[in-house]
Amino acid sequence: MKFEWLFLTIAPCDAAEPWQLGFQDAATPMMQGIIDLHHDIFFFLILILVFVSRILVRALWHFHYKKNPIPQRIVHGTTIEILRTIFPSIIPMFIAIPSFALLYSMDEVVVDPAITIKAIGHQWYRTYEYSDYNSSDEQSLTFDSYTIPEDDLELGQSRLLEVDNRVVVPAKTHLRIIVTPADVPHSWAVPSLGVKCDAVPGRLNQISISVQREGVYYGQCSEICGTNHAFTPIVVEAVPSKDYGSRVFNQLIPQTTGEA
Amino acid sequence: MAETAVDKSQSLAEEYYVKDKQTAVVEKPVEVKEVENPEEAASEEPVAEKTVEETTPVAPAVAQESSEVTPPPAEESTEEQSSGNVEENSGNEDAAEETPEIKLETAPADFRFPTTNQTRHCFTRYVEYHRCVAAKGEGAPECDKFAKYYRSLCPGEWIDRWNEQRENGTFPGPL
Repeated sequence: MKFEWLFLTIAPCDAAEPWQLGFQDAATPMMQGIIDLHHDIFFFLILILVFVSRILVRALWHFHYKKNPIPQRIVHGTTIEILRTIFPSIIPMFIAIPSFALLYSMDEVVVDPAITIKAIGHQWYRTYEYSDYNSSDEQSLTFDSYTIPEDDLELGQSRLLEVDNRVVVPAKTHLRIIVTPADVPHSWAVPSLGVKCDAVPGRLNQISISVQREGVYYGQCSEICGTNHAFTPIVVEAVPSKDYGSRVFNQLIPQTTGEA
Repeated sequence: MAETAVDKSQSLAEEYYVKDKQTAVVEKPVEVKEVENPEEAASEEPVAEKTVEETTPVAPAVAQESSEVTPPPAEESTEEQSSGNVEENSGNEDAAEETPEIKLETAPADFRFPTTNQTRHCFTRYVEYHRCVAAKGEGAPECDKFAKYYRSLCPGEWIDRWNEQRENGTFPGPL
């Protein structure tokens, strides 16, 4: 029991922690790519920061008026001008290559998805539709997802992040999420999955994700949508494919029985 | 009450285990013929065992069939394909026991709509379905595919609105 803190520390970070500055742990290849790109670029940023800071401090030190009472009349230096034009332009090119590669790989739909989920934004809740299992227009697996008020939270639940009905998806499966709102613009964003997709009225935006590990991932509305914009969370639960099948089956039975 | 439940669960479990064993026995010669590499044969045996162990009497058809259609990751394609073969037969037997089927399939990606914006994709699938119905008549089996596609892609509210417009004759699409 003394080492319980060790295991708590190792547990994946799939929800925002107090005062967290870094990324939440990745659950999709897309988010892993984003984190890797950030780390690569940050390395060069630190190098540039140190280099420029050194030049600046050195200039302040060596050209102090007490050391150099008479300022020099330096007119022009062709070599240094050429160098400090070419090198700074090369750096963004090397940053752009992996950045563009990641950007276009995120947009590409490589394979046919196995499941389509529709995330419909409302003020201030979300409706999710699973319509792959319909046999008519009226039949649909639809549910609303409201935030749990702060007064109703139980021990261990996060404030502003919990919902009453979670989106359940199978892990290691290609998903298509169709994002659209019913009233004003919203945004469906889940940091651990590396997705952020605007919900624009009258438009269906599509994102493709493939959750690689089972768990619960939290997100929030990321487009100002009114008074309760901060109280419109998103919770995605990734389960094994067999569990997903059982859940869908159990939810479809009552409707079928009701129709009969 | 508890005793009754225990007896029922045991009997159900026994029935499923017996069936799975029979299925495994039947499948072995088929697999032996198909499989040429000893490595695959060695890998299939634990998979079959896992299948037998993981079977639950509650909803075996759903669990097995849901894993069937799932597109496997590239790395694990070999293993999952072999397990899929095992599960297909058992799934069919369970289907005979009047269990509804749920397949993990949805509208495919259309090269006409490769971008993030899928509004026209939804609209086009809806129009295609109703053209098919107009050409082949209501309830034609060829049109079921298009119906599934547009139901997967279009929100329910949009479909309701379009259905109402079609009935009123004000639908803007080329039906």
